[in-house]
Amino acid sequence: MDMSSHPLLASLDEPPPFPPSYPQLRRLDRSVVCQICKEPFQAPVSIQCGHSFCSACIRSSLDAMKKCPSCNEPASEGHIRRNRALEEITDSWEESRPVIHGLAHPPTSKKRPAPEPSSKPASSTGVKRMKQSPRAEGSSSRSQSPTKSRKSDIVESDIPIDLDEDENDEVLELTENDEAPCPLCQASLPISSIPMHIEKGCPPPKGKTNGMRKGNQKADWKKVFSGQGTSSKAKEVEMKRITKPNYSLATPADLRGLLSEYSLSTTGDKSALVARVQEWIILFNSNLDTSHPSSLSALRAKMSDVEASKKRDKEKGKDEMINQMASTSGLRKYAKESGGEFERLKREIIERDKRRKEEEEGKGSGRDNAIEVE
Amino acid sequence: MSGGLPKRILKETERLMADSPPGISAAPKDDNLRHFDVTVAGPESSPYEGGVFKLELFLPEEYPMNPPKVRFLTKIYHPNIDKLGRICLDILKDKWSPALQIRTVLLSIQALLGAPNPDDPLANDVAQHWKEDQNGAIEQAREWTRQYAN
Repeated sequence: MDMSSHPLLASLDEPPPFPPSYPQLRRLDRSVVCQICKEPFQAPVSIQCGHSFCSACIRSSLDAMKKCPSCNEPASEGHIRRNRALEEITDSWEESRPVIHGLAHPPTSKKRPAPEPSSKPASSTGVKRMKQSPRAEGSSSRSQSPTKSRKSDIVESDIPIDLDEDENDEVLELTENDEAPCPLCQASLPISSIPMHIEKGCPPPKGKTNGMRKGNQKADWKKVFSGQGTSSKAKEVEMKRITKPNYSLATPADLRGLLSEYSLSTTGDKSALVARVQEWIILFNSNLDTSHPSSLSALRAKMSDVEASKKRDKEKGKDEMINQMASTSGLRKYAKESGGEFERLKREIIERDKRRKEEEEGKGSGRDNAIEVE
Repeated sequence: MSGGLPKRILKETERLMADSPPGISAAPKDDNLRHFDVTVAGPESSPYEGGVFKLELFLPEEYPMNPPKVRFLTKIYHPNIDKLGRICLDILKDKWSPALQIRTVLLSIQALLGAPNPDDPLANDVAQHWKEDQNGAIEQAREWTRQYAN
């Protein structure tokens, strides 16, 4: 059935899959896909059991349940480690995929449009076009020159970019002398002294007081957001992971303070604030797990997208509809209203089944099991 | 990525429509991609064979971090499905994982039709019937299938 006609699916722009005659390439395609979002890994991280996911995906998942989504092994956020090799593999596969796809695919057979880089006007770009300039199909966020197409050029032009990013990235790593907030009392301390500090029952740090340090941080952030100083890249290097507050103990004022530090909206009741802080911590912390992090303003834009889409869902009254389904009369009413659609789906099953049986008889094979659970 | 961005939902829907599992059809509502009309054919050599059951499936805001909500709209005589069409299936509750998807959920429901489990009942009277008089219960399920699922 042709789903491209569905109004809500019209926006979906997928790179064309490899033909079934290349099972190894299909496997490769699957292997760089996160099992949670089903997209190529973004900022991949591993957890204790060895499974890897996008940083943001596993962080949201662990907020909901403390286990690995793939194998159900117990897992927690403390187990998250950056998986740099996987990021490199994913990036390089995404980059070379259009080239390999062009080689593997007969140019005439598919007419699904390939995704286009944002810099190009949205015209109809088929596989043929893609083959001519594979560079134009490269993975999302990196700066690339779309005119280059020879392989040697690709290699030469990309290496310096990657090195640059890695260099910046190294600065993100904390050393023993860096300060970090104590996981219990939030006081800023040199990392090496935190274990002793906790053992002593979290006395307030000598010298620099917690309050003073906070004040400095605030000033630092103000500087960052007012656009003073050097380039934005250099400022992001200063970014450190946000420690999750204890949501049941945090007051709305605490949450607002945290949100305003990052120039985020502070409106709404406590549950709205908690939801916003949670979402932000996931976005912000996972942004530290990649070699090509987004700018703070891009993160904030993403946040407001998420909030807007949640708001739309609420306004549409979808929750009420679900509640209506909880009663027998509501169910009957619904079944009646959607009768035509169900009839169509029913016919579809029956027709498909018929076709399948005919095909099987043609091949002379036995009956297929209707159930194929993974 | 996380949150309310429905890219994964779009993708899942497209694949589901392009390549439905045998005996399962699902289509989103025109105005709401989180809400699906689903039909599932009763598995062969089960009391539900020959029946086509209507379900509704809803992807909550937190999906895939939270499981989809699925209910039978067609009346069915099954120890793990109650009068309101609610389904007792572990992956719809505590065994949910964001690695699962609509496809796997619907396949599991189809499998549940083929393997009723009266030891973990949702409809107690049906489960009791199933345990005490399995043949009678199966006959009743067949009868309901003929009556309601055609």
